[in-house]
Amino acid sequence: MGGLKRKPSSSAKALAKSKKKKGPHLPNSILKVIANQKRPLNSDEEDDDDVIGSDDEHGGDLYEYEEGVPEEESRKNNRYDRHDNYDYELPDDFEDENVESEDDDDGGNSDNDEAEGDDDDDDDRHTRMLQSLTGMPSAAFEGESKSKPVLFTEAYPEGEFNPTRDVLEGKNVLTEEDFLAPLEGTPGYQKTSKQIARMRKDTKHVVHAPLPKPQRERLERKAVIGLVDEEFSKWVHLVKKNREAPTVYFNQDVDLGYSTVGAIASEFQPRTEFEKKMASVLNDSEVSMEDHIKDHNHIAKMRSLLFRHEFKSKRIKKIKSKTYHRLKNKDLKNSSLGALMDPEMAKEEAMRQEAKRVEERMTLKHRNTGKWAKRMISRGLNVKYDGPKAAIAEQLQMNANLSRKMNSMRDGSSSDESDDEEELNDGADEDTPSRLIAKAKEKTLKALEDDEVPNAGLMSLPFMKNEEANEEAKRALEEYEEWENSGGENSKKTVNVSGRRVFGATAKVEAPKESRKDSDNFYDDSDSDNDMAGIEDNNIEPVRDNASPARNTITETEKFDDDVAGNPASKTTFDVAMFASGSWKKMAGSKNTESKKASRKTRAPIPQAQDKKGWRDEESEDSESEAEQMVDGVLTSTSKETFEVPSQAELINRAFAGDDVLDEFEKDKEEVLNQEVPKPEKPVLVPGWGDWTNIQKKRGISKQMVQKHEAEKKEWEQGLKTRKDARLKHVIISEKVDKKAEKLHTTTLPFPFTSKEVFEHSMRMPIGPEFNPSTIVGELNRPEVVKKTGVIIKPVKFEEVNPNDEVDDEHPRNHQKQRPKKKTSRRQGKVKSK
Amino acid sequence: MRIKTISRSVDEFTRERSQDLQRVFHNFDPSLRPMEKAVEYQRALTAAKLEKIFARPFVGAMDGHRDGISCMAKNPNYLKGIFSASMDGDIRLWDIATRRTVCQFPGHQGAVRGLTVSTDGNVLVSCGTDCNVRLWSVPRPSLEDSDLSSEKSTEVVHCLFFLITLYSLVLLFILITSFFLSQPSAVYTCKNALLAVDHQFEGDLFATAGAQLDIWNHNRSQPVQSFTSGSHSVISVRFNPGEPDILATSSGDNHISIYDIRMSSAARKILMRTKTNSIAWNPMEPMNFTAANEDGNCYSFDGRKNEEAKCVHKDHVSAVMDIDFSPTGREFVTGSYDRSVRIFPYNGGHSREIYHTKRMQRVFCVKYSSDATYVISGSDDTNLRLWKAKASEQLGVILPREQKKHEYNEAVKNRYKHLPEIKRIVRHRHLPKPIYKAKAESRAMNDAKRRKDERRKAHSAPGTVVTESHRTRRIIKEVE
Repeated sequence: MGGLKRKPSSSAKALAKSKKKKGPHLPNSILKVIANQKRPLNSDEEDDDDVIGSDDEHGGDLYEYEEGVPEEESRKNNRYDRHDNYDYELPDDFEDENVESEDDDDGGNSDNDEAEGDDDDDDDRHTRMLQSLTGMPSAAFEGESKSKPVLFTEAYPEGEFNPTRDVLEGKNVLTEEDFLAPLEGTPGYQKTSKQIARMRKDTKHVVHAPLPKPQRERLERKAVIGLVDEEFSKWVHLVKKNREAPTVYFNQDVDLGYSTVGAIASEFQPRTEFEKKMASVLNDSEVSMEDHIKDHNHIAKMRSLLFRHEFKSKRIKKIKSKTYHRLKNKDLKNSSLGALMDPEMAKEEAMRQEAKRVEERMTLKHRNTGKWAKRMISRGLNVKYDGPKAAIAEQLQMNANLSRKMNSMRDGSSSDESDDEEELNDGADEDTPSRLIAKAKEKTLKALEDDEVPNAGLMSLPFMKNEEANEEAKRALEEYEEWENSGGENSKKTVNVSGRRVFGATAKVEAPKESRKDSDNFYDDSDSDNDMAGIEDNNIEPVRDNASPARNTITETEKFDDDVAGNPASKTTFDVAMFASGSWKKMAGSKNTESKKASRKTRAPIPQAQDKKGWRDEESEDSESEAEQMVDGVLTSTSKETFEVPSQAELINRAFAGDDVLDEFEKDKEEVLNQEVPKPEKPVLVPGWGDWTNIQKKRGISKQMVQKHEAEKKEWEQGLKTRKDARLKHVIISEKVDKKAEKLHTTTLPFPFTSKEVFEHSMRMPIGPEFNPSTIVGELNRPEVVKKTGVIIKPVKFEEVNPNDEVDDEHPRNHQKQRPKKKTSRRQGKVKSK
Repeated sequence: MRIKTISRSVDEFTRERSQDLQRVFHNFDPSLRPMEKAVEYQRALTAAKLEKIFARPFVGAMDGHRDGISCMAKNPNYLKGIFSASMDGDIRLWDIATRRTVCQFPGHQGAVRGLTVSTDGNVLVSCGTDCNVRLWSVPRPSLEDSDLSSEKSTEVVHCLFFLITLYSLVLLFILITSFFLSQPSAVYTCKNALLAVDHQFEGDLFATAGAQLDIWNHNRSQPVQSFTSGSHSVISVRFNPGEPDILATSSGDNHISIYDIRMSSAARKILMRTKTNSIAWNPMEPMNFTAANEDGNCYSFDGRKNEEAKCVHKDHVSAVMDIDFSPTGREFVTGSYDRSVRIFPYNGGHSREIYHTKRMQRVFCVKYSSDATYVISGSDDTNLRLWKAKASEQLGVILPREQKKHEYNEAVKNRYKHLPEIKRIVRHRHLPKPIYKAKAESRAMNDAKRRKDERRKAHSAPGTVVTESHRTRRIIKEVE
C-alpha cells in the first residue's frame, strides 16, 4: 500500500466503490426510511462516527457491517502525503444509476445534497396533492410543512396568563402599539405615545437581559484574576531576594521573655499612693540621673586623690632625716616648677644659671679632673660599676651643658642643618681652594667636637679613645693651618668656632671612621667588581699615604667628601665630579698625575686593582668624552675597544652553548610516548625454550609469535598516529589517564552548570578549617537554611524590598546575643541575606 | 646579628578553662598543602558514608486511634501539639514530646475529614461526613508554654511560685488521667458532607469544602460566603499563609481553583487530567503552590501563570494523598497511597528522602512540624508516625564545635555531590519491594513511550510531531 500513494482518481473511486459493496447490506427501501427519519435531526456537519452513533439510537436492532477507514484516509502517522480528497468529485448534474442504494455513512456532500433534493421533490408532490384536495393556495401548506417541529416542554396549562405557543415561537407577540391602539383619541394618548417614543430612543436606561451564566462567570474571573495577580506580583522582589540569598535565617526571633529581675522591674508602674509619691520624687527631681552619677564619680575621684595625698604627706612627715627635708625643699626651690610660677623667680634662676656657666668655664670642675674622678678612672672603677660611671657621665654632661654657647643651648642638630645649607651653597658658587680648606677644617673641628657628646658615656673612657685618630685629626688641622699660612691665599680664619669647641683629651674620632678605613682596605684587597669602590680606593689611598690626616679625615664620611670636592689640589672623588662638573676638565690632569703617583705608593697593592687603576687613569686621559661618561655617573667598566653588538641568535647560541634543548626534548617526548604507548617487544629466541636440546632442529621464532608481534606493532603505530601530538613536533600532549585523579572528575557536566570552567571553579578553593582562617571558615561552610530546632518559623510577611539593593555580605551568626535588635528581630520570615 | 626565635606570650597561650582548646596556628599557604582537593574529596566521601550510617529517621509511632487516620492539624502556636482525626470520628490531641494523647474530642458520628487550628492555637475546627462543623476550644498547653510574658510582670513575680505549683499539679493530673475529654464550643450543621477544612492565617475565617466551598466565621452558624462551581464536590481547600484572603481548592472534576474570598468568583481554574488530592501553598513564596495529584506526581504552580507547572515532582508510584510545606519554604513532604512518605525540595524534580516502614500502610495525611525539624505522618494503620526531617540529623543540644563540624561535612558533601562515587552513595535508598517493582515498571513504560515518541518524531515530517513537555503534559488547560 505504501507505494500507492497517488493513484489516478478514477481508479480510486472504483476501488472505493468496490470496497463499499463488500459488506452485507440492508435492502434499499429500509435504508431510505432510516435516512428520512434521521435527516431532520442530524446536521450536515456531523461526521461518520456521529452518524453511526445516531444509527444506534434509532435502530439499535439494525445491523450494518462497519467498514474500517482506509489508512490513507485516516491520516494516521502522517504516513501518507497530505491530500484532501481522493474521491472523484462528481459533477453536479451527474446522475448515478443506483440512486436507491444509500452510501450515507460515506458522508459525501454531493450525496447529501441529492438526498435533500429528493426530499424537496416529495414535499412538492405532497403540497400539490393537498392543493388539489382542499383547493387552498399552496403557500398555506408550505408554511406549515416548512416550520420546525417545536418541542412542547411547558409543564403548565395553556391559558391567558401563560405564554402561548405562538409567543414561544416568536409570533403574535404583543407590542406597545397593540396596547395603545384602543386608546387612540383619548386625551392622554399623545403624551403617552411621546413618552414611549422617547423611551425607545433612550438606550442608556435600558436594562439588558443578563448574560448567560458561563459568559458572566468568565468575565468575573477575568476581573478577579487581575486583582489576584496584582496581589501575587507584589511579592516578587521579596521572593527573589529570598531565593538568591546564599543563606536564609530562621533562627532570629527567639523571645525568651524576661531573663533578669532588672528587666522585670523596668516595667514597674506605680499604683498605690506611696509608690506614686516615691516615683514623683525620683523622677521629677531637678538633677537627672546621669548628672548625678557624673557628680558622684567626680567626688569619689577627688576624695580618693585627697586621701592618697594625705597618706603620702603623712608618710613624708614621719621622716625624721633633716637632710632629706633640706634636700626636698631645695628641690622644690630649684625646680622649674617654681620658676614657671613666678617671673621674679625665673629671672633669679636665669641669673644663677649664668653665674654657674661662667664658673664652669673658668674652672675645671666638671671635667673629671677632680680627685674622685681621677681615682675612679685610674682604678677603672667607673668601668666596673654603674654608679661611678653614671656619675662621671653626668659630670661631663653637666660640663657640656654649662660650657655651651649661650644661644646654642639647643642641641647640635640645628647647627648641622645650617651647615648643610652652607654645603649646598658651596656646591653652587665658585669654589676657591682656600675657602674649601677652611670648610674642611671646620668640619674636622666639628667632627672632633661632635665626639664630645658620646664622651659622656662609654666612649669617653681613655682606652676607648683613639689616640691615633685624634692625632690624625690634629695633624689635619695643623696642615690646614700650614696651608693657610704658606701657599694659600691669606684667607682669614673663617673658622667660627662654637662655644663647645674643646681641644683635649676628651676629643676623639668616632668609631665608624675606623671601620670605614678597614673597609677601604678590604676593597683594596678584593677584586671588587664595584667600580665605585675601586675609584674611591684610588682617591683614598694616596691621601693616607701622603700622611695628610686632614684629607684622611675628610674621607671619613661621604658628606665630607662632598665638601672637599671643589679643591683642585686635593684628589677629587667622582662624587665631587658630579657636583662640579664644570671644573672637571681642569682638574683632570693634576688629579691623574697625583693619583698615579699615589697608586704606586699603596701599601699592599694588588696587581689587579693596580691594573684597573692604571687602566682607568689612562682612560681618563684618553678622551674627554670618556670622562664625560663617567661624570654622568654611569661609571661602568665598558672597555674602550670597539665592540660590535652580536646578533640575537648569536647571543642565544652563546648563552645556551652547553645544552642541547632540542635533543633533550626529543628524548623526553620519546620517553613519554614509550610510557603511554609502549613499544611491543620483539620476540626473541631464548635458548633452551621451545625446543628439545639437540634432537630437534632449530626452528627459529614461531610463526604465531611473529604474527602476534606484527599485529602489536601495527597497533602501536596506529596508536602513535592517532595521538594528538603526532604531528606536533615540539609539543607533548599527554593522554595518560590517571585513575586516582579520575574519581575527582565527572563524565558529564552536572545540571546547574553551563560550562566546565565554572564547574571546576566551584570546587577549586578548599573550604576546610585547615586551609582557611577561622574567620572565613564559618561563612564558607554556612548551610543554605539556618534554623533552630524548637523555634517556630512563621510564614513570610510582606515588607517593602528595594530591588536595587545589593545583597550585603555580613551577617551575625545564629547566637541570640549577637542578634541586632533593630531590623532583624521583628520578623521571622524576613531574609537576612548573608 | 638577628636570630629568629619563636616568641609566644603567655596570655595568648593560656587557656581560661581546662576544657578549652589549645590554640593551633596554621600556615594557610596553599603551596604547603598541595593535596587539598583530594583531602576534601575524601572527607566528602566519608561524610556521605557517615550520613548513611546515622540515617535513623524514625523517632516513634503514636498509637491510640481505632481507625485509619484521615487528617491532621498542627498547632501553629505550639510546637508539641498535634491534632489527628480518624475515620471513626475520633479526634485526638497528641503531645509529640511524650508521644501521648493529651486530650480527646468526641462527637463526630462519621469519619472526620477535615481538621484545622486557628493561628492563635485556641480554636480547633473539625468537619466530617456527618455534615457537621464542630468548633473546639483547645486546652492550654502545660507549664512550659503558658503565656507568662503577656501577664503583668509584677504579678508574675508574685504569682510565679503559685503558678508553678498549680501547673505541676495540672501536669500531674494530666499524667494520671492520661487525657481530658473535651466538649465542642459550637456545632454548625450543613446540608452536605464535608471533605476538608482550613483556617485562615491570622484571621477569623475558615473554609469548608464539600458540595460547595463555604467560608465561615467563628461566631456565625451560617457560612459567610459560598462559592459553587460545577456539579462536582470540592475535595480540598487550603488558605494561603502569606496572603490570608487567597485560597486554593481542588475539586472532583480535576480542577484546581484559586479564590479570593473578597471576590464573588474564582480567580483561576486549571483543568488537569487527574484529580488533585491536596494543595499546599509555599509559606515563604505566597504566589507558589504545589498540588498533590492522583497520578503520583506533584505539580508546583505559579499562581499567576497556570498554563504550565513550574516543576513536576516525580517519585511516588501511586496517588499522592497529602502534601505539606516545610515552614522554611524550601521543602515539602508528601504522603502517598504507595505506603511511603517522601520529602522533596521545592524546586527539585525528585525527592531527596523516602520514609517507609513495614507496618506503615497507606498514608493519608502528612505534616511538617513548625520548626522544620520533624515530619509527622498519619496512615491507614491507625498510627501517627514521627520522623526526623533530616534522617541523619543529630538531635539534642549540639556544641558549637560539633555544629561546625556538621556544617563542614554538609558543605563538603554538597560541594562534591556531583562526583560519581559520592553521588551514588548520597542517592542510594533502600526501597520496599512493591515500590521498587512499581518504579521499575513505570520506568520501563516511560522509556518505551519515550522511545516510541522519538521514533515517531524521527520518521515524520519535521515539526508535525511535537513532544509535549512534562510540565504541560498533564494539564489540559487553564479555564478562561
